[in-house]
Amino acid sequence: MGVAVRWLLVLAGIAIAAAGGYVSLAQAGSGAQPWDPELSDNFVFMRALPFALGLGAVVGLFRAGGWKPAVRRGDQIRRFSPGTVIGHWIATIGFVIALPTGLWQYLGGILSQDVPAPGGQLLLDLFHPVPLYWFYRLHYIGAAFVLFSVANFGAYWWVNRDRALLVPRGEWRLHLTGFALEVPRMFGARLAAPLKLDLTQRLPQPRPFTYYETAFSFPTWTFALALITITGLLKAMRYIYPIPGPVLYWASTLHVAAMVLLVLKVLDHFRYTLARWPLMVAMTRGWVSEGALRRVLDTIARPGPWHPEPTLPATAPAGVAGGSER
Amino acid sequence: MKRLVAILALLWAALNVVIAYLFVTNAFVAKTAIKEGLPAQAALLLGGALIAVFAVALARQSLRILRAPGAAEG
Repeated sequence: MGVAVRWLLVLAGIAIAAAGGYVSLAQAGSGAQPWDPELSDNFVFMRALPFALGLGAVVGLFRAGGWKPAVRRGDQIRRFSPGTVIGHWIATIGFVIALPTGLWQYLGGILSQDVPAPGGQLLLDLFHPVPLYWFYRLHYIGAAFVLFSVANFGAYWWVNRDRALLVPRGEWRLHLTGFALEVPRMFGARLAAPLKLDLTQRLPQPRPFTYYETAFSFPTWTFALALITITGLLKAMRYIYPIPGPVLYWASTLHVAAMVLLVLKVLDHFRYTLARWPLMVAMTRGWVSEGALRRVLDTIARPGPWHPEPTLPATAPAGVAGGSER
Repeated sequence: MKRLVAILALLWAALNVVIAYLFVTNAFVAKTAIKEGLPAQAALLLGGALIAVFAVALARQSLRILRAPGAAEG
């Protein structure tokens, strides 16, 4: 696809999304709508959803077919493209907005009882001046960011066929073994026993992502994001389509479960990357020095006490710790 | 920068400890038991406990960096 056509697609996507957002907000602010602010926000969000998803898909398609940045600059390796870095931080903003507001919606209902849990009244008093619809409004804004990101990365990976974060066919056992060796031995042994993983085997150097990322982190991100997206869409759809009660009940229950999963994922992701600072730097600059990345992968790919020797020979050719999806 | 991020992580972990506390305490209040039943209580308890464990793990990592910024790999 030509550059001009791709730019045209993105500009058309932005224009359609802006027009959709304008019309939706104009309707809500016209004074002719009979709904209160909370219900009105529900309708605005529901109407804005297709545009957020569409814009994300267009941006993802644009990135997938586009400019391929340099992959090496001296000893620096490009680990993430600028689009991936920006997309990651857009998703982060979405989570930072959507998770606390979603938790407040859930916990607020439980806290606002005659005798709240200890400390609950303190929080209720603290947030009392803020109208409830503002929590919903912010939650929807955060959710729109997340949905944009899901569509963006989904389209990007689907078209550019980058499967670096997926476990290749037939290699699940290998990646699970690597994962079991990366986590503390107590957990690794408990995982290995029921799955009959051989923790004494020599593993190849993971690249470009660690076994922890491929066997555990990415699959759980995918599951949690798919669950919160599907259940969130079902919940939003009820304003335009009669969703059966039991479906809505389970969608709401699983939406909360997915939210808790995402709270855990954010905590774990933050812990994991904070301990491996070059990964954090790579997600802001896109670049990482080969030496730093090699140290991260070497440490992570330790074969355990059974094989104390490093898996990556010092004489390995340059680029062995190569960049990831670009 | 590493210290600043570690402080932010510590704050995020503290916020999550509060959430974990609310999850766990609300697993035992009357409204949850009456309105949502035992499965919801168990879910709150399990969710709260897991959030607490993961938050403590993040807080420990953050404190490790604040004490010795060069200790984290890289």
